Amino acid sequence: MNFEIISPTTTDELLVAIEKCQNRHFRFGAGCTDLLMELKKNPADDLTVINLAQVVDDRLTNLTKTSKLYRLGSMFTAGRIVVNDELKTHFPVLHESAHNLASTQIRQVATVGGNLCTASPSGDIACALVALGARCEMLNTNGKSRSVAVTDFFTGPRKTVLKSNEVLYGISVPLNNKETAKIYSRFIKIGTRRSMECSVVSLACHIQTDAKGVILAAGVAIGASAPTIRLAKDACSSLIGKTFKKITRKEKEEFAATVLSYASPITDIRATAWYRKEVLFNISKSIFE
Amino acid sequence: MKKNSIKKETLHEVTFTLNGKKVTCKIKGATVLLDLIRDVFDLKGTKSGCNEGECGACTVLVNGAPVNSCLYLAINANGKQIETIEGLIGHDGTLHPVQDSLVQSGAVQCGFCTSGMAMAIKSMVDLYETGQHVPGDIRTELPSRDEIKKYLEGNLCRCTGYVKIIDAAEKLFAKEDCR
Repeated sequence: MNFEIISPTTTDELLVAIEKCQNRHFRFGAGCTDLLMELKKNPADDLTVINLAQVVDDRLTNLTKTSKLYRLGSMFTAGRIVVNDELKTHFPVLHESAHNLASTQIRQVATVGGNLCTASPSGDIACALVALGARCEMLNTNGKSRSVAVTDFFTGPRKTVLKSNEVLYGISVPLNNKETAKIYSRFIKIGTRRSMECSVVSLACHIQTDAKGVILAAGVAIGASAPTIRLAKDACSSLIGKTFKKITRKEKEEFAATVLSYASPITDIRATAWYRKEVLFNISKSIFE
Repeated sequence: MKKNSIKKETLHEVTFTLNGKKVTCKIKGATVLLDLIRDVFDLKGTKSGCNEGECGACTVLVNGAPVNSCLYLAINANGKQIETIEGLIGHDGTLHPVQDSLVQSGAVQCGFCTSGMAMAIKSMVDLYETGQHVPGDIRTELPSRDEIKKYLEGNLCRCTGYVKIIDAAEKLFAKEDCR
């Protein structure tokens, strides 16, 4: 494994570094847990790594709150999500996904931005962020930013809309509905063991209900079931207005079938497509229990 | 003129605190912390197990947090406090309470995972001592066996079956001076 490394210490330096690398083969290094693994297995020639870990910029590393949203800098680590009580209260699904990511050691360095940019169909934090309707903010070398919904950030396995002159700067998660009295949150990760596991199928959901238990908003995302993490839009909208505790068996099955319609799993070393579909149907039904 | 096919590599200077001592060295960009600790500083207590972040044998503490040194770029150690198993032992050679507890509980068999285990357990004890959170829960009482297991999920042991390792950690928390 060999590469050149550039370690900018400010965002301005970072943008200059990206500009300089436009004609070179370069990669970003955030927590580097995925990157180093990949480079150890498949060393690349003439690679430059732009090291994001030494950039001092609150917007890149910290959590901020506005009247409409929480914004996580893309270098915010999984470990910091886990110990953040505010995030745990408002977005339990995000907490769960971070808590279930890899291992204690990996969570100390693995970042939200890294999880998104790796664009794995089975990304844990990414799946929760899709369910939460988060948006990605990207900054280009001219200092201009644009944002897209996390769902649209992924274009395929390990592919994103990030252009070569852009860096993922932050992720914003909209605040919950004002009338929300209870949140039903699930992060279901099916795999062969609990730690250090890449999901066979995963499902993240964030359902908000009012004081009477009527569903105000719902976000359901599925992982490892399609080339990218998918938001099961129709399944989400089918829940609005229903009383969470009074959903009938038939409605649960219809809901699960709708979720399943978003899946196009493959057969690989971890599971067959058939198995993934069966499991996905069952876990979709189980979220109401 | 024949061009030299081997490109001269840029070396980067890093300064950090290693087991309480300030150190400076020059490294290649791709050097991982594990290699720096073992090969340059000759501290062989940190083990290279799977070398891919799975087993935790290479666990060291970076500013108190346990990380896999095999997946940590040495360049990012700059300005940080790094602690390895060699830093646990007292000046007079006495074992750290974590090491002592592992020995007393019979939690060591082949010993390859032990230094990583000890570092992970130490970080958990430190979190408790400073009254900080242990991931997920506000600290109100002693951690349960399940919480210890969850915390040590990144450390594999192929000999002990974990029971005695978890015993060792549990005993440590039960001690007065750790609360």
